[in-house]
Amino acid sequence: MVAVEQGNMADLLEVKEVSKSFRVKSGEVRAVDGVSLRARKGEVTVILGPSGSGKTTLLYLIGSLERPDAGEINAFGEDICRPDADLIAYRRKRVGFVFQMFNLIPSLTALENVTLPMDLDGVPSEEQRGRAEKLLAGMGIEGRLLRARASRMSGGEKQRVAIARALANDPDLILADEPTGNLDSASGRVVVDILAGLARREGKCVLIVTHDESILRAADWAYQMRDGKLRGIEV
Amino acid sequence: MRSVKRGLRSFIRHPLASLAVILLLFVCLTLSLSMLAVRMAADSQVEEVKGSVGNYAELRVSSQYQMEVFQQQRKQDPAKRQAEARKMSEEEVLAERAQLMVPEELVDDFSRQPEVVSYDKVLETRVTLPEIESAELASTLSLRGGPSSGALSPSEENSFFFEGNTDGASASDFLRGAKVLAEGSFYTYQDYLQANPVVLVEKTLAEENGLEVGDTITAEITGAQGRDSEMELTVKGIYETVEAEQEGETRDPMAFNPAGSKFYAPLSVVQILNGTPGYVELGCYYLDSADSSAALQHKFQDMVINGTEGGERYELATDYSDFEAISEPLHKVARTSLIGLVGALAACALIIVLAMAIIVGGRARELGVLKAMGATHRQVLLQFAAEITCVCLVAALLAMGMSAVISQRLGDWLLREDALATSEQEAQSGQGMPVMGFMARNLYKEGGRFSLSGSDKPEVKLEVVYRGGLLAYGILILLGISLLGTAVPVVWINRLRPARVLAME
Repeated sequence: MVAVEQGNMADLLEVKEVSKSFRVKSGEVRAVDGVSLRARKGEVTVILGPSGSGKTTLLYLIGSLERPDAGEINAFGEDICRPDADLIAYRRKRVGFVFQMFNLIPSLTALENVTLPMDLDGVPSEEQRGRAEKLLAGMGIEGRLLRARASRMSGGEKQRVAIARALANDPDLILADEPTGNLDSASGRVVVDILAGLARREGKCVLIVTHDESILRAADWAYQMRDGKLRGIEV
Repeated sequence: MRSVKRGLRSFIRHPLASLAVILLLFVCLTLSLSMLAVRMAADSQVEEVKGSVGNYAELRVSSQYQMEVFQQQRKQDPAKRQAEARKMSEEEVLAERAQLMVPEELVDDFSRQPEVVSYDKVLETRVTLPEIESAELASTLSLRGGPSSGALSPSEENSFFFEGNTDGASASDFLRGAKVLAEGSFYTYQDYLQANPVVLVEKTLAEENGLEVGDTITAEITGAQGRDSEMELTVKGIYETVEAEQEGETRDPMAFNPAGSKFYAPLSVVQILNGTPGYVELGCYYLDSADSSAALQHKFQDMVINGTEGGERYELATDYSDFEAISEPLHKVARTSLIGLVGALAACALIIVLAMAIIVGGRARELGVLKAMGATHRQVLLQFAAEITCVCLVAALLAMGMSAVISQRLGDWLLREDALATSEQEAQSGQGMPVMGFMARNLYKEGGRFSLSGSDKPEVKLEVVYRGGLLAYGILILLGISLLGTAVPVVWINRLRPARVLAME
């Protein structure tokens, strides 16, 4: 199979003919060129592509960190390209990001990094701690590691904390940008297994962009991206 | 509240960055607050001085007119002058005698200006007291002797100075504390109105002549002859001279001011004794503030010089130059401290803006993460505002403590630098020499015509006292710097593209 056919809109992430260009010194670069794709809750979708192919831009468009020049993005029944779309609520409740560079706040502990999205969303303090500890335990971060500053953790630990943070507000969609890019192969496998488990066991819609073909083993759906264009590939 | 808590946590978790900014701000804020304290102290001291110096004016015959009269008299043949005087009517004699005096009516009229808070009238003359002798005066005269001292010394051993005003307690010498009442009481305004023949006598002189309160002294009335040529004066009070003891070392030994020779009596009595009823030597006015001095000069010009016949012979002498002498260094210090304050505040502004630009720029990724998590601008700004306020608050508290210690020294230093610069300028231009002699500005308030106070430079001191106003200004500065610091993340957050900073490796 190369594409999702039909389904309930509330379970579906649908990208239709989305384009995004950037101005650079030498002119205009079309980073995403009329891309369409569908992804569903409970499945892992992988987008493969070399550096500069536009896959990270596509991920940020889906995560509402960039606005498309054209096209539509419908995330679980909500058109996030509408001018009046509540992007704050979307980012807080619907999306969890996992980055290649982890992007943890170095001055905060593992626990504080995970409670941060809950804090921003107004979750009561008592509840924050319990949920964060549970999420971190699920990622194998326990004991003294909970109070370790992010700056003092290993890459694998950081990425597991970053995944726990992405799950803090129980989002529908996990967007992972090169999640294994800064990890050794063993840590990378653990992280991919965790992400796949989130889709299979917790019914999250997991979208991974990577140039690492080994991740395809966890994919339900896969696409190849090149020069801003997307095409489905066999998994 | 959560954002504020995050800001406080962030402040604690970035100690090195916070400390560096705190130290820089501390230095500039210390300078700002110290300059502000000095400025406020200088301004408040100028206001304070206005109530006591520069608010005095004296209506009197101008020194220029006095010189003209003296020169005219010198040109005339004394024998011819005496012959003419013998032919004069009583009115002409009075006019002759009073030509260097001011009509009492004019002094009273001028006192009706709204700027005048209180006023007095003074007449000083020499009166012969045939029964009174002064050993000290006799010795002074014998020591001084010679024709050159004739203009200043009394012609006879029992000729004494009499000072008349409307109320004994408000005579300049008693107000200045140069003389204090030892026995009896002061003559009052009623004594002046009723021309009660009472007098205040110096203690040593009283002891020498066996005088006590209630005793009488016979005084000769100038120009009067026959039955009415004498007046019986009752001793109402005895005073002590402290001036000679206190100022003896600093006074010019050649200045003529025999300690025991002066009598104080109601103005009306002295006018009778001098044979010049209705005339005074000067009218002295106390104004509501030094600021009124210029306005009163204008009114004097309009009302007396231009509005009175022969008004050009009078002058309104003031102690405004004393006020200027005191306030000018304070004004200069205030100006310098204002420049320092502005410079220090500008440095504070620059430091906070640069520091925040570096700090926020270094934490751009954190801003991107916060935005990717759905943080609103308000949440991010509150967090940074709390962090900046903490930095500024710690710096401001430390600066307040330090400025409390150094403000006085800074003020003294500024004042000293100004004094040095002024004395150097004066030395170069040859100014600043004391004005001596009979024609000096000497005011009644400062001890009268024989006083040397006109040559003394008033001492200026700056007292830097921490007031509530300074705290309010300190809080305003704190808020201003905090707001300015917050402006940096405001700009950053509005221009930030999370996708770009998050993708940075």
